[in-house]
Amino acid sequence: MGNQVGFALWFTGMSGAGKTTVARLVERELRDRGLKVEVLDGDIVRTNLSKGLGFSKEDRDTNIRRIGFVCDLLSRNGVIAIGAAISPYQSIRDEIRAKMDNFVEVYCQCDLDVLIKRDVKGLYEKALSGEIKNFTGISDPYEAPPDPEVTIYSDRETAETSAARVMAKLEELGYVPSSEAEESYSDEEKEMVEDRLRALGYM
Amino acid sequence: MRIFGKRKSRKKSRRVVFVGIDGTPHSLITRLVAEGHVPNMARILSEGTYAPMFSVYPTVSSVAWSCMMTGVNPARHGIYGFVDRKPGSYKLYIPTSRHMTSETLWEYLSKQGKRVIVMNVPVTYPPREVNGILVAGFLSPNVDKVAYPPEVSARLKSWGYRIDTDPWVARKSKDDFLVDFRETLAARGRTLLGFMDGEPWDYLHCHIMETDRLHHFLWEPMEKADPVYEPAFYDCYHQIDDLLGEVRRRLDDDTTLVLMSDHGFCTLRQEVYINNWLRDAGYLSFRSDEPKSVADLDPSSRAYSLDPGRIFVNLRGREPEGCVSPGEEYEKLRDELAAGLLELRDPDSGEAMIEKLLRREEIYHGPQFEQAADLIAVPFRGFDLKGAVNRPTLTFKGNELVGMHTYDDAMLYVQGHEFKRDGFSVVDVMPTILDIMELATPPDLDGVSVV
Repeated sequence: MGNQVGFALWFTGMSGAGKTTVARLVERELRDRGLKVEVLDGDIVRTNLSKGLGFSKEDRDTNIRRIGFVCDLLSRNGVIAIGAAISPYQSIRDEIRAKMDNFVEVYCQCDLDVLIKRDVKGLYEKALSGEIKNFTGISDPYEAPPDPEVTIYSDRETAETSAARVMAKLEELGYVPSSEAEESYSDEEKEMVEDRLRALGYM
Repeated sequence: MRIFGKRKSRKKSRRVVFVGIDGTPHSLITRLVAEGHVPNMARILSEGTYAPMFSVYPTVSSVAWSCMMTGVNPARHGIYGFVDRKPGSYKLYIPTSRHMTSETLWEYLSKQGKRVIVMNVPVTYPPREVNGILVAGFLSPNVDKVAYPPEVSARLKSWGYRIDTDPWVARKSKDDFLVDFRETLAARGRTLLGFMDGEPWDYLHCHIMETDRLHHFLWEPMEKADPVYEPAFYDCYHQIDDLLGEVRRRLDDDTTLVLMSDHGFCTLRQEVYINNWLRDAGYLSFRSDEPKSVADLDPSSRAYSLDPGRIFVNLRGREPEGCVSPGEEYEKLRDELAAGLLELRDPDSGEAMIEKLLRREEIYHGPQFEQAADLIAVPFRGFDLKGAVNRPTLTFKGNELVGMHTYDDAMLYVQGHEFKRDGFSVVDVMPTILDIMELATPPDLDGVSVV
C-alpha cells in the first residue's frame, strides 16, 4: 500500500488494563490489511530505548517523550506507530499530541479494584505492600484523559470487541481504509443482495 | 414423536444424500402424505423415522442452516441474522461464509477424505474450499461466482441453473412466481441428478429454497383454501415429490437419505415494527426524519432492533455512542423492555403479540457472544417482528408476504434409522449425519446425534 497514512495510536491506562493485549490485536488487524505498523510497548521500551530510567515523575516523562519522539518519526514516514505505555500524566500526553499531526488516543479504562483483583503480573500486591514505590494507581497518580478518541473497558468487553472498536474509529477518522473493500460483495453486488433481502422482508 | 413404519434395524452406510426443504413444516408434510399429494415422500417416510424438530432463535434460514452445518449455536458460528451490525459500529453488514467462524459439516467431511457435493445452502457464499464441489446459496451474485471450484459454473449453466426465484416477481404476481418456482426447481433438480449420476461423492447435499418462497407468498391462500392458489401450492409439492422419487430411485444399499426443514411456517397476521414501539415508548430516536437504518439513530437512544425481534441496548463501551451503563442500568433496561414488549397488543384484535423475551445468556454461549442481541423477542404465531425504521404504523398486513416462520414444526427424516429422543433441534443434525456415516464427531459440538 503506497499511500498509507502514518499516525500514532496511543494506548494509555493503568498497568493490567489491557493496553498491550488490545494494541497487539489492532497491530495484527492492521498488518492483515497490508499496512506497516510498529508497536512501542512500555515494558519493552524500558529494556532498551529507556534503559536505566526509573519511575520518578521526571524519568516517566522522559520515557514517554522518547516513545512519543519515535512515534512521531515513524508516523511522519507513513508508518502506523502504536504506543502502549501507562503514560499517567495528562500534561505529557498533551505535549506529544501537540507535536504531532495525527494522534489518536485510546484510554484503557478499568476500575482499580478490578485491576488489584486481577493482578496478572503480581505488581499490585507488591505495590500495596510497599515493595514497589511510585506505582501508578496505588502510590502515584493516574490522570484519566478527558477527551480520548476511544475509551475501551477491559472489565466489560472482550479484547476483540475493544480492538474492533478501535479499528472502527480509525476507519471513521479516515486513517485506515474501510474494511468494506475486503467484504464479500462489490458495491453493485451488495446493492443487488440488499434488494433481494428487502423483497423478502429481511431489511 | 411421530414415527412412520415398523421398527428398523440400524442401517449402516458410508454415503448420505441430504435434501433440505426450506421451511416445510412437519405438520404440512404429515397432511400432504395423508391426503395423497406426495406418494414418493410417503414411501420414503415409511422407510425411516420422521419427527418434528425445533429451529433456532432468531428463526431465520441463515441462522438455522448455519446451526445445521456446524452443529453449534450462533455464539460459536457467528451468524445471527441476514443482517448484523458491525462490531463497534451501528453500520449494518450482510453476514456471509467469511463471517462464519466454525468449520462446516462438509469441511469436516473433506478433512476425513470424503468427497462432498453441496448445493444452494444459505450463508455459503463466497464458496469456501471443500474436497468436491460447493455451489453457494441464494445470496450469491451470479452463476459465474457461485461455485467452488469455479470451473463448475460452466456445467451449472449447461443445466440452466438458477440461484433463486425472484422475490420481486413474486410480490407483483403470484402466477408469475409459480412459473418461476417451477423453472427454478426444475433446474435445481437437473443439477442435483446431474451431480448424483455424474460425480463421485460420499455426501451429497441439495437445498431447496423454493419452498420457503412458496410459503412466504402463498401460505395464506393455501390455508384459506383459495380455489386457484391452494391447488397451485400443492402442485409445487407434486414437483418436489417427483424429484424425491428420482432421488430415491437412484439410492443404493450403501446410501442413506436424509430430509430436513429448518423451521415451520404459518399465516402472517401482522408485521410488527419493534423500532416503532421503541420510538413511541421513548427508547429510540433518530437524527433524521427519514431514517434509513439504525445507523441513523440519535446517540441518546437506549435501544434499537434488527430483524427479527433482535433488540440491542445502546450500551456504553460496546456501541460507538452507547449511553446505557453496563451492570445495573443495563439489566434494569432489559427488564423494562421485556415487560413493555409483553404488553404489546395487536391494534386490530387486542391480542398479545409477543410470547416471551429471551436474554442472550439464556440461549447463546461462545466466543461470538458479544455480537448477540441483548434480548430476543419471540412472537406468538402470526406476528412477524421486523427491524424496519421507517414505517408509519406499529403493525402492517399486506397481501404480498403472507407467510412467516415458526420456531417449532421444523422436521427431520432419516432413512433406516430410529430416533433415540425427541425435542431436538437444528444443531443436532450435523452429529446425526456423522453418526450415520459412522464417523467420529468433533469433540466440542453443541449438538448430539439423535440416531
